[in-house]
Amino acid sequence: MSNAKERKHAKKMRNQPTNVTLSSGFVAGGGVKHHNGGGRPFQAHRDPHSGTSRQWYPRTSPHALAESDANEQSSSKVTFKRKGGWKAGPEGASQDIPKYITASTFAQARAAEISAMLKAVTQKSSNSLVFQTLPRHMRRRAMSHNVKRLPRRLQEIARKEAQKAVHQKKEHSKTKCHKARRCHINRTLVFNQRQKKNIWLETHIWHAKRFHMVRRWGYCLGERPTAKSHRACYRAMTSRCLLQLTFAAVHCLSGKRQGSLVLYRANKYPQEMLGPVTFIWKSQRTPADTSENRQLWIWLHPTLKQDILEEIKAMCQCVEPTRSAVCVPDSLLTPSQEKGQTDLPEEKTGRKRKREDDGENAKAIKKVVGDGTRDPLQPYSWLSPATGVVISDLTMEMNRFRLVGPLSHSVLTEALKAASVHTEEEDTEKTPHRWWTEVCKNPESVSLHHRQEGVFGLLGGITSPAEIPAGTVLGLTVGDPRINLPQKRSRALPSPETSQDNEKVRQLLLEGVPVECSHSFLWDPDICKSVTENKISDQDLNRKRSELLVPGSQLLLGPHESKVPILLIQQPGKVTGDNQRGWGSGWDVLLPKGWGMAFWIPFIYRGARVGGLKETVMHSQYKGSPNIPGDFPDCPAGVRFAQEQAKNLLEKYTRRPPAKRPNYIKLGTLAPFCCPWEQLTRDWEARVQAGEDLSAAPSPAGEESGPRRDVVPSAPTTERARQLSDDVSTSLNDADVMDTDCPAQAGTEWVAGRGATRGLLCVLRSRKLLRQLSAWCGGGQAARRAPGRAQQGLTREACLSVSDRFPRALVWVRLSLLGKGSPEPHTMICVPAEEDLVQLRRDRLYRGPQEPRHGDPFKSKIRKQREQKKREKGQKPGPAASDGLADGDPTGPQALTLGLWPGPLPAVTSHCSRVLLGFVTQGDFSMAVGSGEALGFASLTGLLAVLSSQPGAERGLVLLRPPASLQYRFARIAVEV
Amino acid sequence: MAENREPRGAIEAELDPVEYTLRKRLPHRLPRRPNDIYVNMKTDFKAQLARCQKLLDGGARGQNACTEIYIHGLGLAINRAINIALQLQAGSFGSLQVAANTSTVELVDELEPETDTREPLTRIRNNSAIHIRVFRVTPK
Repeated sequence: MSNAKERKHAKKMRNQPTNVTLSSGFVAGGGVKHHNGGGRPFQAHRDPHSGTSRQWYPRTSPHALAESDANEQSSSKVTFKRKGGWKAGPEGASQDIPKYITASTFAQARAAEISAMLKAVTQKSSNSLVFQTLPRHMRRRAMSHNVKRLPRRLQEIARKEAQKAVHQKKEHSKTKCHKARRCHINRTLVFNQRQKKNIWLETHIWHAKRFHMVRRWGYCLGERPTAKSHRACYRAMTSRCLLQLTFAAVHCLSGKRQGSLVLYRANKYPQEMLGPVTFIWKSQRTPADTSENRQLWIWLHPTLKQDILEEIKAMCQCVEPTRSAVCVPDSLLTPSQEKGQTDLPEEKTGRKRKREDDGENAKAIKKVVGDGTRDPLQPYSWLSPATGVVISDLTMEMNRFRLVGPLSHSVLTEALKAASVHTEEEDTEKTPHRWWTEVCKNPESVSLHHRQEGVFGLLGGITSPAEIPAGTVLGLTVGDPRINLPQKRSRALPSPETSQDNEKVRQLLLEGVPVECSHSFLWDPDICKSVTENKISDQDLNRKRSELLVPGSQLLLGPHESKVPILLIQQPGKVTGDNQRGWGSGWDVLLPKGWGMAFWIPFIYRGARVGGLKETVMHSQYKGSPNIPGDFPDCPAGVRFAQEQAKNLLEKYTRRPPAKRPNYIKLGTLAPFCCPWEQLTRDWEARVQAGEDLSAAPSPAGEESGPRRDVVPSAPTTERARQLSDDVSTSLNDADVMDTDCPAQAGTEWVAGRGATRGLLCVLRSRKLLRQLSAWCGGGQAARRAPGRAQQGLTREACLSVSDRFPRALVWVRLSLLGKGSPEPHTMICVPAEEDLVQLRRDRLYRGPQEPRHGDPFKSKIRKQREQKKREKGQKPGPAASDGLADGDPTGPQALTLGLWPGPLPAVTSHCSRVLLGFVTQGDFSMAVGSGEALGFASLTGLLAVLSSQPGAERGLVLLRPPASLQYRFARIAVEV
Repeated sequence: MAENREPRGAIEAELDPVEYTLRKRLPHRLPRRPNDIYVNMKTDFKAQLARCQKLLDGGARGQNACTEIYIHGLGLAINRAINIALQLQAGSFGSLQVAANTSTVELVDELEPETDTREPLTRIRNNSAIHIRVFRVTPK
């Protein structure tokens, strides 16, 4: 046999399973192992493989026997074979077939072998755990730590293994002891380090254990619970109680009620919206007390903070940063703000008006609160020398928890107990809560406290927060909520006994909370500071609890118990529309800094379920209210949010391979990730002007387009540089226009303002116009419902006058699907063609038309580009000469993603077979209604054109098409005021 | 809850709709026991009837069946509440009896001003309501 031939044979034999030649049950892997093991003693001169394989023939037969033997005792075949091979190695010293066998020695040797094998099967050599050696179908959950889940024959080994693991762990932890790892000082340091970039809220650690956290707007926020809880949270909102953390930058400028409004830049209404805010005025304690400082708290979304802060500062001329926390005392109040009682929710008030009042009187004063958590170098309060107004930034100074749902009353009344009044006899010298003893000495404030307590007690008997006047504010001083924490988590239920107090409840419902009861010590920064500093730590509290004589009994701290001033604010639920009024109403609890967790846990122990950002979005969607900042496309924060969202979605899209993602060009979706509002409104304006109406009748708007065309949209930035005197004169008028929407005034004001305001996107927020639109959308239903209303008919003149005033406006609309379908964000709102309506009339279950598939003109370009790149790669890295591209700019390659429309979009409205009207910003299957529902914006001009072209019963029917689908579905459009 | 309809002409006479927005608050109600049923005009009639029937029948073997249920109707829903109660009685072959009570419910309307100079108003109006007790009697 030549050497080469031999090698070839060996190669062949290497992968040859031994059981081909033998009748034993060896497997290939085992066989190879044997050869290697057995081959070791051989000299290099001979080929080990072929040699051993021949040698082993007679001697493997005992193996086969042994194996069958061993099989009964062990299941671990592989282990056995490997071991057996190694052990048997020395035995294979004799090279030839023996002539004779001595029975006794042979048996001895075999016995030794067998015993070695038996030993081998009991201990395993591989690194894997016992349960890992089991075939997959025999594995069970929790096998790794529960020995009894394993088959009984393996339990012994597993038990040994587990013990070994325990030992190993102990050794491992010696390097760094448990205490060192959990050392508190270290931890706080690390935590401080970690929250430098994104601020943590007070409940961060609690949230981080239970929520998917996201970093957004400079904060770490819980996005959604890790548990599956979408539906559970909905149920909590509907029938129980959902707890949310509202994070908002509060902004102190310095009521009985909470109000909300939309801020606009001075002199810029209706363009340049800054953002929606809510505010509270500090109430007056007595009507006669006019010398009190007025405070206004403005709550805003953190994304809006910078813009609005700058604007307010500019308006009040508060330029000098105040170093010390100055309180500028002053007296005179503007008439409209004088009575805390009369402060009402002002929707859509121009905020300028208020600021103007302040400025004119030069007296209304805001208090300043210092802040410890902030960078001391950064100014946080600003004083205006001219007006005496002080503005301060109270970010992170307060906690605001939102309880949503009908059971929030029960949760509140059970979790919070009004503070006990100190009596004179008690030794109050040592108490750290000096402010409270001071308060208790004053009989007036004690009686006020009792009244507040009484009102608060009545809340327990009211079934739903929606029964209370919207925006009610109730001040209260409560004891430490940790003291009467229940042992176990339970659900607070309304007790029928508390709801018997009929007369008082009735009075509360009718008149709301008395004015003076809305006073809270929370407004006083000194008291807040003292409360925060003198908070008894959880550790101390638990220690005191453990020292109780009777375990589990009520802890009595007496005067040492903390007293916390809080403010309760009612949140109205769904106020617009007819369905489900009052859904999602609840209470907001304002707490001083540092007390977040102390109130959070008691609320949860009373059965509140916690939701995250996702639940907040769901809440606002079902409520039909726009979500901040996503649904404010005309404010800078909204634009920023949209850009960020588009970026994220694009990233997610490009992560998938092209074959596994929708080709949006073929689907006819121009902008699947962002809504091109600007282009949409511009297209519609041009459309109407060109007389290219949907209806057969041409619109007379075309004639008017001439004089309007030459008005050039002026740059908005130049307008910002303005004088205060200018503001005083014009913004009042401006405010009037937006408040009353008086047509006569509008006539004069609007002509003047048109030059500056034209050509910019805005969202229609005038209530009167919205109400009219809503009546027009109703398809005759609304008109029937409100016959008394002096409504204009839907005539062309009326439409024209509206669209003329707001040429590029968007309207907030609600869409409810007629049949199937669940819309998603960026779904397109389209205008149904005539034949669609005809079809629908014929068949009520008609699904809707389908978009014909579009061609992808960019596909070949992409391919060409790729080929070119490949060629260039082979040659040299030169400038990408993309001759195939229309736009040869550097953004070309980036824009040419397969399936996305690159570069500037063509006419968005007429790209598809149905004319585009708007986009959905929030949409989902609505559990509140039981069908798909969406909220979004439509072009005002387009909406009017559609409405006027549709006949009565079908008025307000539109088509919805998600970005990744060709199917249109019918929906009814509604404008809710 | 039922939509509380009322002639709006009267309001229009005294208040200018341009200046105020009418927001109706939810009617006050007591905590719900499991055997209380509030009838509304939004839900399908059949579904509400089935719900009442289910409460009275209980589970598969008649466990946790209520011996009596209360059907509440307000305003426009009074008619429907009566209808449901009578349907239940008619379908029971004489084992159910009804006893009706009527009452007046005070409802609160909030008037939100559109302008800054005005104050929010609340107005009380009354609406009639019915509470029907449907209970099981042992047929003789």
